[in-house]
Amino acid sequence: MSEAYPIIEHKYDVVVVGAGGAGLRATMGMAQAGLKTAAITKVFPTRSHTVAAQGGISASLGNMGEDNWQWHMYDTVKGSDWLGDQDAIEYMCREAPAAVLELEQFGMPFSRTEAGKIYQRAFGGMTTQFGEGPAAQRTCAAADRTGHAMLHTLYSQSLKYDTDFYIEYFALDLIMDKDGSCKGVLCLCLEDGTLHLFRSHMVVLATGGFGRAYFSCTSAHTCTGDGGGMILRAGLPLQDMEFTQFHPTGIYGAGCLITEGVRGEGGYLVNGEGERFMERYAPSAKDLASRDVVSRSMTMEIREGRGVGGRKDHIYLHLDHLDQAMIEERLPGISESARIFAGVDVNKEPIPVIPTVHYNMGGIPTNYHGEVVDLKDGNPDAIVPGLMAVGEAACVSVHGANRLGSNSLIDLVVFGRAAALRAKDIIKQGTAHAPLAADACDEALTRLDTFRNAKGGQSTAQIRDKMQRVMQDDCAVFRTGESLQAGVTKINDVEKQMADIATTDRSLVWNSDLVETLELDNLIRQAVVSMTAAENRKESRGAHAREDFPDRDDENWMKHTLTYHTTEGGVKLDYRPVHTYTLTDEIDYIKPKARVY
Amino acid sequence: MVELTLPKNSRVGTGKTHPKPEGSTKTKTFNVYRWSPDDTENPRIDTYHVDLEDCGPMILDGLIKIKNEIDPTLTFRRSCREGICGSCAMNINGTNTLACTKGMDEVSGDINIYPLPHQPVVKDLVPDLTNFYAQYASIKPWMQTQTPPPPDRERLQSKEDREKLDGLYECILCACCSTSCPSYWWNSDRFLGPAILLQAYRWLADSRDENTGERLDNLEDPFRLYRCHTIMNCANTCPKGLNPAKAIAEIKKMMVERRG
Amino acid sequence: MGMRTPLKNVRHLGSAKEGTIHWWHQKVTAVALIPLFIVAIAYAVSLVGADYERVRDVLSHPFATVVLLLLIGVTFYHFKIGMQVVIEDYIHTEITKMVLLLLNSFFCAVVGLAAALAVLKLAFGG
Repeated sequence: MSEAYPIIEHKYDVVVVGAGGAGLRATMGMAQAGLKTAAITKVFPTRSHTVAAQGGISASLGNMGEDNWQWHMYDTVKGSDWLGDQDAIEYMCREAPAAVLELEQFGMPFSRTEAGKIYQRAFGGMTTQFGEGPAAQRTCAAADRTGHAMLHTLYSQSLKYDTDFYIEYFALDLIMDKDGSCKGVLCLCLEDGTLHLFRSHMVVLATGGFGRAYFSCTSAHTCTGDGGGMILRAGLPLQDMEFTQFHPTGIYGAGCLITEGVRGEGGYLVNGEGERFMERYAPSAKDLASRDVVSRSMTMEIREGRGVGGRKDHIYLHLDHLDQAMIEERLPGISESARIFAGVDVNKEPIPVIPTVHYNMGGIPTNYHGEVVDLKDGNPDAIVPGLMAVGEAACVSVHGANRLGSNSLIDLVVFGRAAALRAKDIIKQGTAHAPLAADACDEALTRLDTFRNAKGGQSTAQIRDKMQRVMQDDCAVFRTGESLQAGVTKINDVEKQMADIATTDRSLVWNSDLVETLELDNLIRQAVVSMTAAENRKESRGAHAREDFPDRDDENWMKHTLTYHTTEGGVKLDYRPVHTYTLTDEIDYIKPKARVY
Repeated sequence: MVELTLPKNSRVGTGKTHPKPEGSTKTKTFNVYRWSPDDTENPRIDTYHVDLEDCGPMILDGLIKIKNEIDPTLTFRRSCREGICGSCAMNINGTNTLACTKGMDEVSGDINIYPLPHQPVVKDLVPDLTNFYAQYASIKPWMQTQTPPPPDRERLQSKEDREKLDGLYECILCACCSTSCPSYWWNSDRFLGPAILLQAYRWLADSRDENTGERLDNLEDPFRLYRCHTIMNCANTCPKGLNPAKAIAEIKKMMVERRG
Repeated sequence: MGMRTPLKNVRHLGSAKEGTIHWWHQKVTAVALIPLFIVAIAYAVSLVGADYERVRDVLSHPFATVVLLLLIGVTFYHFKIGMQVVIEDYIHTEITKMVLLLLNSFFCAVVGLAAALAVLKLAFGG
């Protein structure tokens, strides 16, 4: 190492990494339980990407018509293409109404019905009567700024509790014990470049997704899957990384999100021939089919020459037929986005949209308490002591192969809370910390030092661009064996180039060049496992659509993919069975059947 | 404290001019404030030329292109790039706004970028907003009630009451308004500033909150509230089109109303 | 200050729980000054070129006395509380601020009183 790095040590019961919706809810719950909690975040909490969620948060409150959690569960299982773990899905759907009411009691400014209740809108894949009934209005909304309203509410609530926030601290690596348990996390303080070792009995990773592995995504620049990167470096697996959700309606060009709520409120898609083509692909749900279905349909239309625009490479989203006052009340945010990023007045013209990378169903495998699990000695549910994951960073798995719109926000709060409840049960507050090995931080420091002084031939931006283009081209909406094999070769090649990286900024104060490089290191590992897992899964399920294997293959592939990764050894694949049981006998296991919308 | 001239070590000098990209026909000039605490140098303005043929339309796109291709040491905050997270607030040609929603074509001539005014600078375009965030915490921005919530359903709120939160809850805490307010420049140690007062009013206006009186007590102060002299910079600059000045006027109205 | 928490700094000495009267009086006096000034200017215009006797006759009328006394009182009160805000805005050195605030009060009291005395003298002669 080029120099010695002094480390400042902190001791906590719990350390939460990430302060988006899941991280804040977990932090709050831990603090409420009397655990000494630190929240570490690389951006100020209200800048986290939860803030950009628009449409709403699902819960079977039944404010707009009959509803119950069993119907919600059915839709989620079907949406997941039966890859979701049904015990976890049951837990989420059952806890959802209470979680939303809790947010309301925290002061979240939900839109209201005439009766003064929380307003709920229709969303893709949400039905009644176990798929037999009409569309459900299940998605609780604060206009089209639900994530913003939720994140600000959670942040303000967390100010109420006794939590230490470490803001603009970048988590470098997990500190793992020889017995495989997690003992803390090493962080870099951006403001002055000091290193901080947070020792804790529990580390909760709430670090979000890795959308920025792709060239065009709705994700923020900061969505770099830092938790996933740390997990892989710790020798732990990521799960179901081949499942990347493309949101049907990202603004063409800019990639900014236009909520599914637009279609929930009556908007629809048309192709270059002016046809509402979703009627052909999903005769009953039409524009409100699940996202993977709509994204595939749009891609088919474009491929077959029925796109819109000069290059016929996108689709129009119409809401100009809707009542202006309604748009002003319920969709003001996307009207603004469409004006700024597409130059479109939504009351007069359609919005040009294209399927855009939006969400990672895969992530850190956990049980429904948020505890990280690993396949160990034949036990697929072996708990990794001292480690939890929540939110998009985790794969519980409630979203399986495809997430339904508005199920992510509910995932954040339900499992953020669940993690806190579990931590309360297993951690005795104020327990002393066992001594750490003297070299516990060495690997992490070496990695930091290497990147900080990297003098290779390519800039971070150049390598990042290569990675993003490979992912965009070869790990897209439709995949073939050929493109995926080529993709695996290309992405491995890009990964090798990381050894040739150069950083320019040598400062320790707010060194964003260094941080972007560390983020890229997290991204590239996940890009590699993502591409490899996609090549490996020889079936089509949910968001993973293989043209060479167009059908779902429950016999061989009703299982979660586990991917391990080392820089030297490449990717190692393994599997975990899908939980084909429910939590209680209030609902039976929902058996797989054909998935038609 | 009023400072009409910059202290010696803050005076801005001329910095480096990076060459124009070769072969590009359409470029835009960015003059960007640079300062790092690593050395004792004064702040400077560096000049960059961005090739518009191969760049997104927003000023943030230009900054990212500079960082990616010309100068990786250029430091600024950014995240969502769609105007909802509030990270990339900065002073662009004299106006505080979000770099991600401000188009390069909205600026004729050179683009001059400085950090948000009158906040301590951490590095380049990154201001230290600690005081701003502490002020936010000081107004207790969470729901305060005494009546327990109904056990099995939400607190009811009429559509009309909910509408009163429109124009308030959308605030993204980007600090554009507060750092554009001369009163806040001179008295940010004691004046809460437009953003925080707008947030304070968001809770005063919430029909579910039961602590209106205490909230008003906490604000009734010659400095915390009454340094607002309706200069209106806040409303002019807000990148989300909100009107903090109106929210402050509403608070003042409530203050008078409860007296008689 | 550097070792205190940001919240400690922000909360400072707490809310003074006043300021509304001050702000309200500024608004009320501002409004009151509009008609008072109009009448005063009308007097001034109508008396352009008049000799001392004529001016004294007109201004010693009870209506004029009341208007002028009100004008002086409201003006100097308005001036005093307005100037106070300006001083508080711009002067942060505690001692300078105190001195200026005192001078402001004294100035308004003395000049205001002198002006009022002049009007009264006109009204009651002597």
